[in-house]
Amino acid sequence: MIQIMNWLSMAIGLIPLNRQQLHSNFLVDYVMMVLVPCLYLIAYFGIIVMQRFGLAFLDACNSVCRLSNNLFMHLGAFLYVTIFVMSLYRRKQFFVDFETHLAEIDVVIKKCRQVADLDKSRVKAVKHSVAYHFTWLFVFGVFIFALYYDASALYGTFGEYAIIPFMVSSFPYLAGSIIQGEFIYHVSVISNRFEQINTLFEKINQEARRRHAPIQVFDIESEGKKQERKSAVIATKTAFGIEQKLADEMKRQKSPHEDEDEMNTSDEEDDDIFDYNDTNTENTESTSETNLPDLFKLHDKILSLSVLTNGEFGPQCVPYMAACFVVSIFGIFLETKVNFIVGGKSPVLDYMTYLYVIWSITTMVVAYIVLRLCCNANNHSKQSAMIVHEIMQKKPAFMLSNDLFYNKMKSFTLQFLHWEGYFQFNGIGLFALDYTFIFSTVSAATSYLIVLLQFDMTAILRSEGLMT
Amino acid sequence: MSQPTPLVQPLLLQFQQLFFISKIVGVLPQDLDKFRHKNMLEKSRNGMFYMLGVLSVYVVLYNLLIYSFGEEDRTLKASQSTLTFVIGLFLTYIGLIMMATDQLTALFNQGQLGELYERIRVVDERLYREECLLDNSCIAKRIRIMLIMTFIFEISILVATYINLVDYTQWLSLLWIVSAVPTFINTLDKIWFAVSLYALKERFEAINATLEDLVMEHEKYKTWLSGNDATTATVGNRTTDHPPQSSPPPQYDSNLEYLYKELGGIDVGSLRGSGSKNRNKVAPIAHSMNSFGESIPTPYKPQRMNTNPMINMAHESELSNATKVEEKLNNLCQVHDEICEIGKAMNGLWSYPILSLMAYGFLIFTAQLYFLYCATQFQSIPSLFRSAKNPFITVIVLVYTSGKCIYLIYLSWKTSLASKRTGISLHKCGVVADDNLLYEIVNHLSLKLLNHSVDFSACGFFTLDMETLYGVSGGITSYLIILIQFNLAAQQAKDAIQSFNSFNDTAGFVGAATEMDNESSTLYDMVTTTMMSPTY
Repeated sequence: MIQIMNWLSMAIGLIPLNRQQLHSNFLVDYVMMVLVPCLYLIAYFGIIVMQRFGLAFLDACNSVCRLSNNLFMHLGAFLYVTIFVMSLYRRKQFFVDFETHLAEIDVVIKKCRQVADLDKSRVKAVKHSVAYHFTWLFVFGVFIFALYYDASALYGTFGEYAIIPFMVSSFPYLAGSIIQGEFIYHVSVISNRFEQINTLFEKINQEARRRHAPIQVFDIESEGKKQERKSAVIATKTAFGIEQKLADEMKRQKSPHEDEDEMNTSDEEDDDIFDYNDTNTENTESTSETNLPDLFKLHDKILSLSVLTNGEFGPQCVPYMAACFVVSIFGIFLETKVNFIVGGKSPVLDYMTYLYVIWSITTMVVAYIVLRLCCNANNHSKQSAMIVHEIMQKKPAFMLSNDLFYNKMKSFTLQFLHWEGYFQFNGIGLFALDYTFIFSTVSAATSYLIVLLQFDMTAILRSEGLMT
Repeated sequence: MSQPTPLVQPLLLQFQQLFFISKIVGVLPQDLDKFRHKNMLEKSRNGMFYMLGVLSVYVVLYNLLIYSFGEEDRTLKASQSTLTFVIGLFLTYIGLIMMATDQLTALFNQGQLGELYERIRVVDERLYREECLLDNSCIAKRIRIMLIMTFIFEISILVATYINLVDYTQWLSLLWIVSAVPTFINTLDKIWFAVSLYALKERFEAINATLEDLVMEHEKYKTWLSGNDATTATVGNRTTDHPPQSSPPPQYDSNLEYLYKELGGIDVGSLRGSGSKNRNKVAPIAHSMNSFGESIPTPYKPQRMNTNPMINMAHESELSNATKVEEKLNNLCQVHDEICEIGKAMNGLWSYPILSLMAYGFLIFTAQLYFLYCATQFQSIPSLFRSAKNPFITVIVLVYTSGKCIYLIYLSWKTSLASKRTGISLHKCGVVADDNLLYEIVNHLSLKLLNHSVDFSACGFFTLDMETLYGVSGGITSYLIILIQFNLAAQQAKDAIQSFNSFNDTAGFVGAATEMDNESSTLYDMVTTTMMSPTY
């Protein structure tokens, strides 16, 4: 799926060809990135200057249709030009950087996984869920429908010249969406790495939980209250399912413990249990905790990578979100104030209205996916800090032995606090890319719509002869 | 006080041209001679009087301008487009208010401004001592670019408006030049703020770069080490690899140490508290030698408990020497704090001018767009906003006004981010060295850094960051839509009345209608709606 999207974005000149190699033919790489915008600009200015091939210059197009068509066209031009300029500014350097950073991260992750003995579960990670495929299919379906509708309607009107109006109507939105698709891809890669780190952290956490019991016993070194301690030991032992036989033995010994004479034997038992547990968990313990410094470094690196990605794609989000907002508002406006009243009377007007509605839905879907993934990545990165805190609370054995791990974890969580203040996926700081953005746009859209819906269209529609 | 051997060039050296222009135009009252010779901003009584005189001249001229051009507004009053008229009335004096705010604040702050730059100079010297070099030359370039941009914008707006839209046959029309004065003075004042802010941002970035350099250096050192003895792993790995393999000291020992630490915890805390006051006492963790030994990359284990880490270490990177680097990190952290304080002080000095600028930007942006709409509908607009009659001049005005506001907001946002970045860079130092002592230092300093925040705000009403810009742009659009709606509604009502009147005159609809002609206009509206609706 990603491949298809990459090919498509290369084909319409949004990312350079051979983007992974730094040294390849400069001319070949950027030929599409020059050709397609030129084509677009020729079509755009051709329509404006020659006053032909545009929907606005048809006789059937009335003033409402002309207005909406012009808005759609100029908004698209704004979107495409800003996005293209930023893509050109980005060039290949970003992709190369991203891949090298990612490769570094992957090497370390692989090492950590080997240490943590997690390689068996890797096969599971590659397999995508049903929701993933369904989302892709849905997005592709929506896009194909939108493009098909526009192309067929334009072909019906303009015949073989349909490519010219198509370039200025649907193409910019398609290009913007594909760039957002690139963003989605990069964010999902980042999110995936965060998840992998989290599983590694979780592994350490689980190990800490397993080793919790014997330490508790060991901790209380003082005499007295053997009885309670004993039962606690048994509880923990059974809970963690360590060799049933030993536990049974313990239970059998429970009744004799009522006598004070059994003190010594019970002490022995304690030591026995401890030794047993210690030897049992020693292997996994020693392998997994050594990952921690690497994992902390990894977390930092992935966050730096997110900063890089956001710096490249965040600015492109701003015009896209703005275009999505405007198109959606006008889509609703045209649908309610024009199409409900005079729908079916003018095919060109209907086409414009449907175009608005279709593209508003399409862009909204893409925007939602962007927001969702950014939010996910943020949450995953936060989760790592949470897990580390959990490990710290449990005070596993390796932490008690020295200060270093404690300080390391503290340092990591503090650093994450700094990161939280410094970075979040955002569009050049204007808005954070998470669900709060949906709330703010919806509330803004509502107030605009209330104002717009008061707008009296009947006089205009009547003057166009659409109403009697 | 100019030192005999100045370590660093004072920042104000770059401000020569800007100060000269500001002095002439009357933005700053400070002494020109002192500035030229010592690069100091000092109070000056003459400058104050000069500035007050200039201010009063501007005020008189501006009022004259409003009076002389106000006659054209008679038609506006007559045509009864109340909305436009009221907005015009409101915004007549906003430019003047903004200019007066700038100049009066500059007068009040004339002593403190000098102190501010003195503080920046001290910070520069401290940074220089930490081998953290700054390049101020680009600041002079920036000032020049900003000045040129200001001149281009002001002159193009002025000339284009004067040629196109002012009746220049009368000599009184020359007064129109005064209309450019408030924005020009305001821009000069904001250039001071913007450039100083930029300088602060550069200092933050210099600190970050120094920290990152430490990290890079240490990484090189580590690779060099690992290359040196290929058999062993790198330093960082060695510390983490060794303990599990060869940790014969049983858990007993470690747990005792843990208990000991629990007991001594209060002591540590109190020591840390004092450390924040006295910078040389940070990280007093020397009580647990176990933690010392574990963390230090010593290949031989038996001595681990007792060896002084400082002895068996090869010093190639600064980060491997914890006590040495502690001093440096401490100093950097304090400089960071000082820069944050300077930022707050600077924000305090310019808080009222910035608030007035933001208010001005918001109102003018909305009004200009609204008047542009009015002009396209061939309605009359207030004479002071005649530049809205031409779309191209409007675009220039909008770019100029919004550029000023957005640049300031963007810069304060970036500065704030740069100050937050320092904590991350600091932690990188800790992580790359992987040393217990260094972790203690870093954690302690990081907490300090978390509390140094430099958030720029306009009098505390709103913070100057990009989210505010997002909110403001939303506000402008919604106000614009509402204004246009009202305008449309008023226009429709007026048209309806006119058409109804003409309808009355032509058709012999005499009886009922003429009676109502004498009634109030609300009745008119009712009649028009009732009369019109059946025909629809």
